[in-house]
Amino acid sequence: MYSAALYGVISRIVIQTEIAEDLLQETFLKIWNSADSYDSSKGRLFTWMMNIARNLSIDKLRSKDFKNAAKNQDIENNVNDIDRGNNVSFNPDTLGMRDLMGSLKPDLQRVLELVYFKGYTHVEVAETLDLPLGTVKTRIRLAIMELRKNFN
Amino acid sequence: MEDIRSYLESGILELYVLGELSHEEAAEVQALAVKHPEIADEIAAIELALEQYAQSNAIEPDTAVGQRIFAEIGPAISLPASPVAAAVPPQHQTVTDPETGNQSARLRRLQFWLAAAVTLLVVSAGALFYTYSELSAARERITGLSLQNQQYTRNATYMLKSNEELRTMLNMNADAGWSAVRLAGTAQAPEARMMVYWHKESKQVMVNNVNLKLPEHDKNHQYQLWALVNGKPVDLGVFDAGKDTSSMMIRMKEIATAQAFAVTLEPAGGSKNPTLERMVVMGAVSI
Repeated sequence: MYSAALYGVISRIVIQTEIAEDLLQETFLKIWNSADSYDSSKGRLFTWMMNIARNLSIDKLRSKDFKNAAKNQDIENNVNDIDRGNNVSFNPDTLGMRDLMGSLKPDLQRVLELVYFKGYTHVEVAETLDLPLGTVKTRIRLAIMELRKNFN
Repeated sequence: MEDIRSYLESGILELYVLGELSHEEAAEVQALAVKHPEIADEIAAIELALEQYAQSNAIEPDTAVGQRIFAEIGPAISLPASPVAAAVPPQHQTVTDPETGNQSARLRRLQFWLAAAVTLLVVSAGALFYTYSELSAARERITGLSLQNQQYTRNATYMLKSNEELRTMLNMNADAGWSAVRLAGTAQAPEARMMVYWHKESKQVMVNNVNLKLPEHDKNHQYQLWALVNGKPVDLGVFDAGKDTSSMMIRMKEIATAQAFAVTLEPAGGSKNPTLERMVVMGAVSI
């Protein structure tokens, strides 16, 4: 059950299925090898696992070979890639979550997506969206508050 | 209280859960969470929200991927029920297994060698005991055989001697020069009798030890054979009656002429002159 949730996050950060699958494997390997460094007093197990998955995925996204591979893509797909680079795009498998995200205000949705799925730091989000850092923080908080309301 | 509220609202806890904070900031949040349960509760709520958010957006990966992952992670461990169960507890196993594995392997090897040594000891002791008993049996048999051997040698010697004596007797029979003198018992010993053979030309005198019939005598006495030569007794030597059966013929001293032979019982070793009262047998030469 965790694998599906982790894979959901990974495959939103890294859209290519093959790479996402590799990353899922890497994630489990890392979880496996560093299980003793997990401290239950510092947070939920899932949060710990999720952060491992996110960090690995974002590292991959920023790594040299990934960028090179992206550069070597066919020119026909270029439009899509450019589009993807500028906008938050959705894996077709995750269409169900759109409703949920749709219930968030667009401002909040954009910030949360960038942080949670695109691997942006809040500083990067502030730069990207040209917002003050405090506003980004507040929006992240509000987005999560919304989610809490929705889930509870 | 007011401080905590503004802290909660600052959005730092969200960033903490998202892993956006530096180590120092994260440590600070953790320390505060320990002190203030409100902060800990807020963190838990944020975590839960994001977890449910992720769960509701879960994508089941290809089953082949799952199998590949498990093949990679746990070759020694059978497919676990869930990744969590697989991810957390095996840490203990991977840490302790090699050590205890080595120890138990060494223990097993030691046990094997101990068992081998004990087995060898028991087998050796058994073999030693068997060899020892075989050796004793062999010794006994050797003793028995050597006794038997002595017996046979003695028998053989005796038979050779008897054979020679019988041959002599046959020769004596064939030789006309030998004359047999029958000695009969006196009043002293009426039952006594014996045979003396005399070869006049070679002067040989023999006493037949086989059909000797003389009264038994004690250790201190011996029989003495006398030849009567022209009325005078001449000593022909002493002999024992019945005790020494190793020879059939007893060779006595030589004499050229004799009219009669007589035997008296004398002190052991013989006397110069016969004790006539102790004469047991007497016989005249028939020629």
